[in-house]
This record gives sequence, structure tokens and C-alpha cells, in this order.
Amino acid sequence: MDLVMLRGKRWAAVRQVFALRDVGVLVAALLIAGFFSLISPSFLTAYNLFNILRQTAELGIIAMAMTILIVTGEFDLSVGAIYAVTGVVAGVLAGRHDANIWLAALVGMVAAVLLGLLNAVLIATTRINSFIATLSTMMVFRGAAMVLSQGQPISFPLSFFMDLFGRAELGGVLPVPVLWFAGWGVLSYLLLHRTTLGVRMFATGGNREAAELAGIRTDRVKGIAFLYTALASGLAALISLSFLKTVTPTQGTGLELEAIAAAVIGGTAMSGGVGSILGTFVGTFIMAEVRTGLVLLGTDAYVQDAFVGLVIALAVIINVRLSMRRR
Amino acid sequence: MSSDAAFLLVEGVSKSFGSTQALRDVSLHVDKGSVLGLAGENGAGKSTLIKILCGVHRPEAGRVLLDGRPHAPRDPAEAERAGVSVFHQEIPICPDLSIAANVFLGPRMPRRGPFPDWRVMEARCVELYATLLGEEIDPRRLIRSCTTAEKQLALLVRVLSRDARLVVLDEPTTALTPPEVERLFSIIRRLRGQGITFLFVSHMLEELMQLSDRIVVLRDGSRVGELVRDQFDVRKLSSLIAGRTLAEVGRREASAGTEARLEVRSLSLPGVFQDISFRVQRGEVLGLAGLQGSGRSAVVRSLFGAPPAASGEIRVEGVPVVVRRPGDAVAAGIGYVPEDRKTLGLFEELDVKLNICMAGLSGLSRRGWLVPGRLRALASRMRDDLRIKAASVDAPIRGLSGGNQQKVVISRWLALRPRILLLNEPTRGVDVGAKREIVELLGGLAAEGCSIVVSSSELEELLQLSSRVLVMNRGRIAAELSGTAATKDRIILEATT
Repeated sequence: MDLVMLRGKRWAAVRQVFALRDVGVLVAALLIAGFFSLISPSFLTAYNLFNILRQTAELGIIAMAMTILIVTGEFDLSVGAIYAVTGVVAGVLAGRHDANIWLAALVGMVAAVLLGLLNAVLIATTRINSFIATLSTMMVFRGAAMVLSQGQPISFPLSFFMDLFGRAELGGVLPVPVLWFAGWGVLSYLLLHRTTLGVRMFATGGNREAAELAGIRTDRVKGIAFLYTALASGLAALISLSFLKTVTPTQGTGLELEAIAAAVIGGTAMSGGVGSILGTFVGTFIMAEVRTGLVLLGTDAYVQDAFVGLVIALAVIINVRLSMRRR
Repeated sequence: MSSDAAFLLVEGVSKSFGSTQALRDVSLHVDKGSVLGLAGENGAGKSTLIKILCGVHRPEAGRVLLDGRPHAPRDPAEAERAGVSVFHQEIPICPDLSIAANVFLGPRMPRRGPFPDWRVMEARCVELYATLLGEEIDPRRLIRSCTTAEKQLALLVRVLSRDARLVVLDEPTTALTPPEVERLFSIIRRLRGQGITFLFVSHMLEELMQLSDRIVVLRDGSRVGELVRDQFDVRKLSSLIAGRTLAEVGRREASAGTEARLEVRSLSLPGVFQDISFRVQRGEVLGLAGLQGSGRSAVVRSLFGAPPAASGEIRVEGVPVVVRRPGDAVAAGIGYVPEDRKTLGLFEELDVKLNICMAGLSGLSRRGWLVPGRLRALASRMRDDLRIKAASVDAPIRGLSGGNQQKVVISRWLALRPRILLLNEPTRGVDVGAKREIVELLGGLAAEGCSIVVSSSELEELLQLSSRVLVMNRGRIAAELSGTAATKDRIILEATT
């Protein structure tokens, strides 16, 4: 009798685990990792895994913020351009005018937040579709980055700042961008899944009219998500300029679509109201491990993009299937 | 006429959705060139029957014969080819095309080469209107500039021009003025004489009796009676529709208090409602009646700021309150249950407890952090108080029945202990049992001192709940009825004239 009950309980626990939205992506990430480690022995090493995470930290930070924004029912195509503007502003100040790097970085972050505010105000006041609105601001911001930098890359002198944001390796193995990635992930997780604001974000994206009628200021909720996304782009830009000691006005081109892709692979619904930070984390990891794995296999760089495209399509198909079964 | 000559024969049709039996062994017949009235409360099975006839649903048991041949359309297009057309409240037409274009729109539009042949269409349109309806029209007028009644006629001409033989009229008169209703009825009688068969669905008993040759009554999915023309009687019909009288909660008397909890002074929203003033006492239930489009639901929404009125004053406990958006109303102690649970009330991706707690999140958190224990405790209390049938408060809201989902939406406001609760169609789309529970729940709330404003299209329910009823007509308050003066007939009269 006891045994039967125990078994029933145990199965219930297993069922519960599999009912979680993020398990599907996690399993996929593990399967892909298993596949590449069978083929290439150097895939499953601490060095390689940390390397993957370091390379994808900037994308991951933006993708997790983008997840929050998509959950509220909007998205932002201008993140790549904000990422460039932040870097260029810091570069012009610190690289060309010898300003203090800390001050330069701060001004860069302020610029990022202001651009995010511009997106938020534009969408809240005009209620234009965020695809159109951020498509246009993307071009405007990118143009601003080109003008400010005169189209030229800017390099920085080495400093402690560079170590803190991009170059240090803790214990000689753990690159510091991975820590920023993890820290931003925890922050995003808490914001989306543990605060009342997070619930309001899900409500706003899930059913805006119902959210309004429950007394939620949906334009404010969306605005906060736009600011958070811009902040993420700024942070990613600081990590990038620290690691490379250089910025270019064209950096981050296409980053917006990769961020959306990572969110979607992780189970975020483009229609809003559905998404998770953990899912996006794993989604970002899947994109990065596919790329790295293909490199280790010696695949042509052009083939890699095509492969990532296939992974996105596959992930979305599986997600749609899973969410239909849940209903 | 006997049933073997019937044009439409429905035999033993059953249909269920999940655990609800929408139709149970329903049989009826309609003779060629006659009008069969179909009566029943919301949820009695009328719509399901119509949807089976026009190919949206398929019956689980029984059969349908049309002109002696089996009629089992797989979609509305097939039903239309078989000669069955349905006329809904919402009229599917293109507002920026002309009457003629709307009549002929489709694969068989007259054309010359690749171009539409307007001359032929316009000429045939005028001819169709003359022969079918006996009316003269300008076929080039845009549908946008037509009245609802004219739009309906355009649709009627459209289906008749495609050889419709059975026309289902689903509440065709809700948005019409009495003269327009009279005109529509005379046209239907004329068409009946031309051999067109009608199935006429309406909530308006007088209209049913006026137009129908026979009336079949459905209740809870079963056919409960049939009356032929010389047996028509309002009392008999309404008792058939209602069945055993609902557990009478009894009409509420206004409480003795004279202090107005809610006072509204000359509220206006141009084009929607004008000069609305009323007072609601503590513990009073005020009913708002009126046809669709009379402005009654817009008045209720404006009290909640969704959207707000353009001018006028709202006072709560004597204090003027500026309601620009729902948040302002919530802060003033006002709650609002919207008319459409699915699109305006529920968060389908979230669980039961978040759906219950959504309006009161700040009070259930600690400095912005969720406190799951508090959410769960409140949600569980609401579930027990309102007898919401849910396996767990952590279960997805989608798994609940319509009635239980509606209770969740209501409990969202009860959780905040509002001073004033506004409701729009509180029992739409819920089953009879849940309906009774909701009515009792609102009565209990009023007894505890909550002031309630209910706008509803279901008059019995409104009369049962309210101590006073305001009847709205074309954006204005047409009458205030209370005590013995508040009868269904009187409300219908005031709402439609």
C-alpha cells in the first residue's frame, strides 16, 4: 500500500517537472550538447563551456531583457543600435577626448536609458506598432552612432574598468562577462517572476484590455520594459568595449533579431503574456552551442547561420506543439 | 399541415460540449412558407441548434432533413449552398462598398471580362429589392451610410438572391426601432407568401407572437413545448421559457438610508449617452436596462473610466471623484465586472490565484515582492466563499467552466471590499445554476452594504436583483421604475419607444 502511494507520488513529481514550460528547451540544450561532445572531444570541457558563455553574454543579457519586453506585448528592434550608441558615446568621451572611463561609461549608460525612454514615450503616446516604431528608431540611433563616431572605430587604453567589465578571468577560468550575464539573469528572473511588476507585465501582454480594467497602467508597464531593455543594451555595450578595447558604430547589427530568436527558442510567445528568463537563458545557450559546435566540426561560417535558422524554426515548432498539448 | 410535408425536419438532435449538454433529443419541424418562432433563455440551446443548421457544429445524435433530403453541412458555405442562411446580430457586410456590391459580392459577381459589371449589378439590385421586398432603393449608396435596418435588408436581399430557402433570423430586432421592426415584419410576411421559410429567434415574446405561425420553446437544451398561433399567450410562453420559477430571491427594497453612496450628475459622452443623473444608496442595487446600443453599458464603463465620460460629475459618499482611468475608480473603492469575460476579464495564461488577485496586487506584496502565501490565502478564501470549482488555486484558469471563471472575475473585486461594484452582463454565458449563485451572491453583497449598479439584457434577472431600474433609450434615461411599476412589459416599452 505504502509502496503504491509512494510510486504515485513519485510519478506525480515527474509529471510536474515535465509540465514546466522550460523543461523542453533544457532537454534540447542537453541533447545538442551530447551530440557535439560525441563528435568533438573538446566540446564538453570547462574551458569551452565558459568560452561559449562569455561569447554569448552580451546577447544573453539583451535577450533576457527582450523576453521581459515581449512578455509585455512589445518588442524592440533598436537594441543593436542602442548598443552601438552606448559604445560610441563612451568611446568619443574616453577614447578621443581622454575623459575618465568611468564617467564616459556612465554617460553612455545614460544615453542608452534616454533612447529607451524615447522608444517608450513614442509607443505610449502614439500607440504605433512597436515593430514600426523601433524599426525607425533603430535607423535613427544607428545613424547617430555613425555621426558621433564619424564612421570610425575608436579604441580605448587598458584600465581596471576593462578588467571589471570584460577582460578579467576569475581563478584563471571564469571570464568576468559570464558573471555579469549570471547577475543580470538573476535580476531579470527576480523582476519578471518574483515581483508584482512581473505579474503586471504578464497581465499586460496576455490581455491588455483586461489589465487596464484591473487598474493596471499598461503604458507604464510597457515603458518600464523598454527602459530595462535599453539598460541591458547599455550594459552589453560596456562588456563589449571592455573585452575588445574598441567600439565600432556598426557593432551589434542584427543583434536585435538574434535576441528575439533566443527568446523565442526559449519559449517566449511573440503574442505576449508568455515567457521565462530561464527559458531564454537556455535559448541563448542553444544558439551559442550550435555555433561553437559547428566551428569545432570545422564547418564553413556561412553554413552556421543557416543552421541557427533551422534551430529557431525547430524550436518554435516544438514549442507550439507543447503549448497546444498543455491546453 | 402535417410534419411529413415539413420543409425543415429536425429529429432527435443532441449535442454536448464537454460536460454541458447543449441540446438533448430535440425535434421540430417547419413547414414551407411559414415562420417558426424559437424561444428560450440564453443558454437554452437556440444558438447551438442554429449552428448545427448552418454547419458550424455537427450533431452527436439525430438527423436534419431539408426538403426531404439529409442536411449535414460541414461549414456555413455548404449550408448556404443548400439554401440555409443565417442572419446574425452582427451583420457581415463591407461598409465601404455600395449596396449593390454587397448584394453581389462573391464568386458569382456579374462581370465583364476581369471587371465587375456595375450596370448589371445595379439594375438587378433595384429589381431584386422591388420584387422581393417591394421597396425602392439607390443601389449605389454606401452601406456605411445605411441604418441598421437597411443593412439587414441588404443582407436579406443578398441571401435571397442566392436562392436561400430557409432563413434563420437570430435576434434581428435588437437594434431596430419599433417602426423598423414593423417594416421588417411586413417584409418577412411578404416573403413567407413567396414560399420562403423562416426560423425566428428572439427574446422579445411580443415579437415572437406577432410574427410566428408556431413557437417552439427550448429550455436547458430540451424542447419543452410548442404553441400554435391560436394558443399564443404571454403567460404561457414565459412560464414555458422560465420553467419552474427560480428560487425567488425576491425583489429588494431600497434600504432606509438616505445618504447616497454614489451620485452621478449629468454625465455625458457625445454620441453615446447624454445627461445621465442618478443616485445609489448604500446597500442598494440599481439596475440599468435598455437595448444594445442604448448606452447603458457605456454609462457603467464611464463610471470606471474605461473610457471616462466627457462631462458630468461623479460623487462617492458625497466627495467628487475624478475618474480618468480605471486606477482612479479603484482608488475610490469602485470595482467593475466587464461584459465579456474572455476578452476583458481573464488572463488565460495565468493561474486562478493571480486572476483573483490581479486588482489587489499591491496589498498582497511586500515592497513590490510577491508573497505567494498571501496570494494563495486570499485566493483560497475567495474560492471557498464563492464556491469556485477549481482543483487548486494554482491551476490554470482555462480549465474552469464559464460560470466559475465569471466568479473569479467577480471575486477579483470582492477581494478589495469595494464600496461600489459595477457589473455589465454579470451572467452572460454561464449555466443556470451558476447564474442563480451569482444572483444570490450579489444580493448578499448588497445586504452587507455594497452599492451595486448592474447593466443587463436579461430582464428577469435585472428585476430580481434590483430595487430600482433605470431604462435607457438612445443614450438617455427614459424612465426610472421601482416597486410594482417595474415590470418586464414596462421596461420593454420604455426601451423601445
